[in-house]
Amino acid sequence: MTDSSGLEQGYRRLLGWYPRAFRREHADEILAVLMSGAPEGQRRPRLAESADLVWSALKMRLRGPGPAGESRPWTDALALFSLVAPLFLLLLDVLVVALPYRLPNVTSFPLVAQALARHPEIGGLSLLNVPLFDITVGCGVIVAVLVLLGLRWIPLAVMAVSVVYWVAVGQSIPWIPYPLQLLTTGVYLLAAAALIASPGPRRGRQLANWRYGVVLLVAAAAVQVSTLMYDAMRPPWLFLAPTTSRVTIYLVGSVGLAAVAVILAVVWKLNRYLLLLLAVTFYPYALQLAFASTGGTTDLLGNPTPAHLTALFLPPVLFACGTVLAAVTPRRSRLLPS
Amino acid sequence: MQEATFLILTALATGSQHGYGIITDVSQISGGRVRLRAGTLYTALDRLRTDELIAVDREEIVDNRLRRYYRLTPKGSETLAAEAARLQANAAAALSRLKPAGGTT
Repeated sequence: MTDSSGLEQGYRRLLGWYPRAFRREHADEILAVLMSGAPEGQRRPRLAESADLVWSALKMRLRGPGPAGESRPWTDALALFSLVAPLFLLLLDVLVVALPYRLPNVTSFPLVAQALARHPEIGGLSLLNVPLFDITVGCGVIVAVLVLLGLRWIPLAVMAVSVVYWVAVGQSIPWIPYPLQLLTTGVYLLAAAALIASPGPRRGRQLANWRYGVVLLVAAAAVQVSTLMYDAMRPPWLFLAPTTSRVTIYLVGSVGLAAVAVILAVVWKLNRYLLLLLAVTFYPYALQLAFASTGGTTDLLGNPTPAHLTALFLPPVLFACGTVLAAVTPRRSRLLPS
Repeated sequence: MQEATFLILTALATGSQHGYGIITDVSQISGGRVRLRAGTLYTALDRLRTDELIAVDREEIVDNRLRRYYRLTPKGSETLAAEAARLQANAAAALSRLKPAGGTT
């Protein structure tokens, strides 16, 4: 009896690797099969059995809820994020082109005036004449179409290329707002994690509706307005003219739009974990605002040093790793009752 | 279709079976070559239920342990029949091509 109960405990521990919904539905059934197949006198699960159970559980966690599985908010949020994140970035690109920020005229600094004469605005239609921007947007369109088709691995590869491209050459394109460059990289890092650790955009497509589209559009508008604010206050334009009123208007507009997005999401009861994922991607803005509010002159976004880049990219990298780990590891506190 | 999936559907073709029954039946059908482990079996069963190829038939308690019986759905029967026909056609083609070569020696 002691041997049997020890074996059963061992099996139960291994079954703890399975998703909770699956365990609730099938744990006793699988345990019965395992105990029926165990030879007389076996005390512990054999290595091959253990490996098979753990591997199967990991596959099930990555695949998401099955026919009997409950809807899991985190899994669903990741699936939704893998779908909406590329669309969100595409919306931002559209807004950057549609809503340029015109820099103030400068006469006292000839070199700056000369540069401004060539490119008087951040964003705008002139961006379409920058091949590097076109390539980036092209990658964004490809990723968006692929996730809309429900594909998972090909968009992941395109995202990887896009992130490398952003990091390698994005900084050399001054007419693309820096926050957008960093946001794109951060969002892609999380979207890659979501593609790996969730049932994928096909599941996201089942969950998405027009309300998510509205909230994303308002959130993208908030990002664009805050980008305008950033460009209005960042060096080297800081010394040009007092733009406090303009910054205030942008700040109020950005916060107002963000509030509208959050209120809509709450009223419409959208997946709150998706909102958390989206919120995480905005941390570069929070960092920059924190520096600005404390009177710091460090321009995290505009002139990032290696230390800045570490600070800027470590959170999404850690969050992405955590997301994948959370998706594949068991919850020890929720082991099956014996 | 993977061989394990094909064998599980084949095991259910004669009637509903519980998990351990499927494992022993698959082993028998494959002449002992394929021995499904519990984890692999239930991953496959979960996927087959999602694809609506099988469904839960009934549940029983035997020796204080749960036994859940699975059965083929009409869609599962059609899929299995189509796969069996495909394999049969492939096997027939292979055998018909091997026969003349064997006969000329």
